[in-house]
Amino acid sequence: MKRPFILHLALFCSAAVALSGCLPSLAAQGLDSKALTLFHPPADAWPTYNGDYSGRRFSDLKQVDQKNVDQLKVKWKYKITGLAPLRGIGNPVIKSTPLMVNGVLYLTIPDHIFAVDAKTGVEKWRFDFQDEGGHLLGQRGVGMYGRWIYFLTPDGWFLSLDAETGKERWRKKVADEKLQYFTTMAAVIVKNHVLIGVGGDAMDVRGYLEARDPETGELQWRWWSEPQKMGDPGSETWPNQQAMDHGGGMTWLPGTYDPELNLIYWGTGNTNPVFAGQGRKGANLYTDSIVALNPDTGKMVWYFQASPHDTHDWDNVETPILFDKTIDGKPRKLLAQAGRCGYFFVLDRKTGKNLVSKPFTKTANWAKGLDERGQPIPDPGKEPSVDGSMVDIASNGATNWPPPSYSPLTGLFYVNATEGYSVAYLYDTSSEPQGYGGGSSGHFDPASSLIALDVRDGSVRWKHVAKGQGGEGGGMSGGILTTAGDLLFTGDSDRLAAFDPANGKIVWSEKLGGHISNGPSTWMLDGKQYVIAGAGDTMYALTLDGN
Amino acid sequence: MQQPKRPARNSHDFLGLGPVPDAAAAKRGEPLFTQNCAACHGQNARGGQGPNLLRSVVVLHDEKGEEIGQVIHDGRPQGGMPPFPNLSEAERYDIAEFLHEQVELAANRGLYKHSDTMTTGDAVKGEKFFAAHCSSCHSVTADLAKVGTRYPQPTTMLAHIAWPAGSEPRQAIVTAPDGKKIAGTLVHYDDFETTLKADDGTRSTWPTDTIQVEIPDKLGGHRSLLPKYTDDDLHNLTRYLLTLK
Repeated sequence: MKRPFILHLALFCSAAVALSGCLPSLAAQGLDSKALTLFHPPADAWPTYNGDYSGRRFSDLKQVDQKNVDQLKVKWKYKITGLAPLRGIGNPVIKSTPLMVNGVLYLTIPDHIFAVDAKTGVEKWRFDFQDEGGHLLGQRGVGMYGRWIYFLTPDGWFLSLDAETGKERWRKKVADEKLQYFTTMAAVIVKNHVLIGVGGDAMDVRGYLEARDPETGELQWRWWSEPQKMGDPGSETWPNQQAMDHGGGMTWLPGTYDPELNLIYWGTGNTNPVFAGQGRKGANLYTDSIVALNPDTGKMVWYFQASPHDTHDWDNVETPILFDKTIDGKPRKLLAQAGRCGYFFVLDRKTGKNLVSKPFTKTANWAKGLDERGQPIPDPGKEPSVDGSMVDIASNGATNWPPPSYSPLTGLFYVNATEGYSVAYLYDTSSEPQGYGGGSSGHFDPASSLIALDVRDGSVRWKHVAKGQGGEGGGMSGGILTTAGDLLFTGDSDRLAAFDPANGKIVWSEKLGGHISNGPSTWMLDGKQYVIAGAGDTMYALTLDGN
Repeated sequence: MQQPKRPARNSHDFLGLGPVPDAAAAKRGEPLFTQNCAACHGQNARGGQGPNLLRSVVVLHDEKGEEIGQVIHDGRPQGGMPPFPNLSEAERYDIAEFLHEQVELAANRGLYKHSDTMTTGDAVKGEKFFAAHCSSCHSVTADLAKVGTRYPQPTTMLAHIAWPAGSEPRQAIVTAPDGKKIAGTLVHYDDFETTLKADDGTRSTWPTDTIQVEIPDKLGGHRSLLPKYTDDDLHNLTRYLLTLK
């Protein structure tokens, strides 16, 4: 990592410190690349969207544990103020997981970054971007490399800013909002690659994932979610070039990375046109898949398709969590994902070979079974129809983007799920449909659940069904964090709650100002463990004594 | 600081779809498109001998005819498209807005509409299914009399058949910590706190783990049918109940 400027400043200050009190702030020292690890991030940092490269969202911290969690109290809160209602959205909602580096928290909403003192919640700087279009659906956070942070805007700008001051260094256009792309992702830094994905499925564009140079922002490689041309591997799953060129497969959530295997793992989004599949017969690779790519070249090493020929808007972008576990006496490097299509998958992350494919809510009646690779086989009878096709998956999918968690202490994978039945309708019956071309409706027999899945066989070890529904105010919310203090943090109704990861019993809760809207995270500062979570427009930080 | 303005919650703004097409111009543009463009680009502009214009980068980048209007005027001789010098600037604008309207209709899913007619379903089979599975609780001459006039839209009818409940708070009987039973509406109910509005209008709040909440399950019959229905069953039932007018 090149940091001549920092070195310069440090030397200058060490000589001048006695006279002037000049000290480079901790933030100016930037992020040490050693903080980016597969499994064990440093206690005093949360240096990437998922905390580490594995996406487990499991923390080794255990100052807060089951015995003392009842002393956990709000130490500070930071409310986003001074903004007009977001275009088409209204009040801001924090969906980002803030990075915490050198005592500074970086949190985002679309078009805005806030740098906040992690000990006090006092704003250090803010960056306000004026977009010229794009969908303000969400913003998952920033990425950090050395002293620079990286930010994506709704209209497809990729920005680098100085972490110390929030001053913009440069910007590059990475997606065209006029074609209905928009960018929401928290950039993932792998070696000297800044990995960024795109969103946008209103108008049948094709997904891609890019690596860019952290110093210049220049493109290093681009991987497309579809084969480039007919005849390429995977093109046999498309009827023609036109369908492939407009096939969707957005890459809108941060992926994971195994440094030893030198592979990144990314989920791809729904196929386009979304509900109308008659113009794109075939499995439609590599949409709705998990793909393993070489981070240096962008070349695909393996794929696993979760929802072949998707016609239900089941983006398969949910975090592919990496973990190691001994199975049948053999140590294995594995990957697990609970998909929006209602299946829980466990794969060998070196080869992509399937170990487990099992529905985790109801029966996933849209599939007739599994193929020889362990991929579900879609039932054509459950594709959207003019009169409606009922599936036993809830309308927005069995789960969605809020991050799941895996605890190596329990060997369980935790996911907030929505259970129920919905009906898929086809509106555009033409042979060449465009856009969504249909939709899903109905919330029949709904339930909101926190589910603990055994990674060995996908069985449900325990399930907590939240009391109350709809207008009654109950339901699970946000992402999940597990810790070595034998705690699982997530949102339940308008509270941050802690569960016993072994059995799903609620051990603590604190009422916040609304539903948890991001993934909770944790880190140590000055010997104190903080647990933080966002609820709507406010970030909350909790410590054991609240002081 | 941005000027405060009223939040716009319509689906066009939500999706960030850019300028709203000029509906009057689009209407004027439709016959012009049919006359001059449809032969190559298709009646719906989704392509034919010429390219699909709804997926055209030029059309999507265009705001008010400034880009696509130029192409109409000049043509694309290399691509085989003739120029249209006789179309006025105003007419080119109208054609551009017609195209923007077509894009809007595809991209803005808030404008999508369910079909008002069904393509499948058999009312006679629906009546048989009703007799076998529904008639122990429902009657087409009592609670469901003229139900077809209440829910004339097929998808609305199907939703009411499958799960006739919305997201409104449910009725419940709470056994309070002192053992007293109170009937009312669950105005708030979660894993931690319960607020009941009793039938006499008084409100009480308890920690959920100190009370018992009984929610009479009026939907048991519907719940048990959900995993059993085929789509044909649902369509047949829908067809049948729609005939009850």
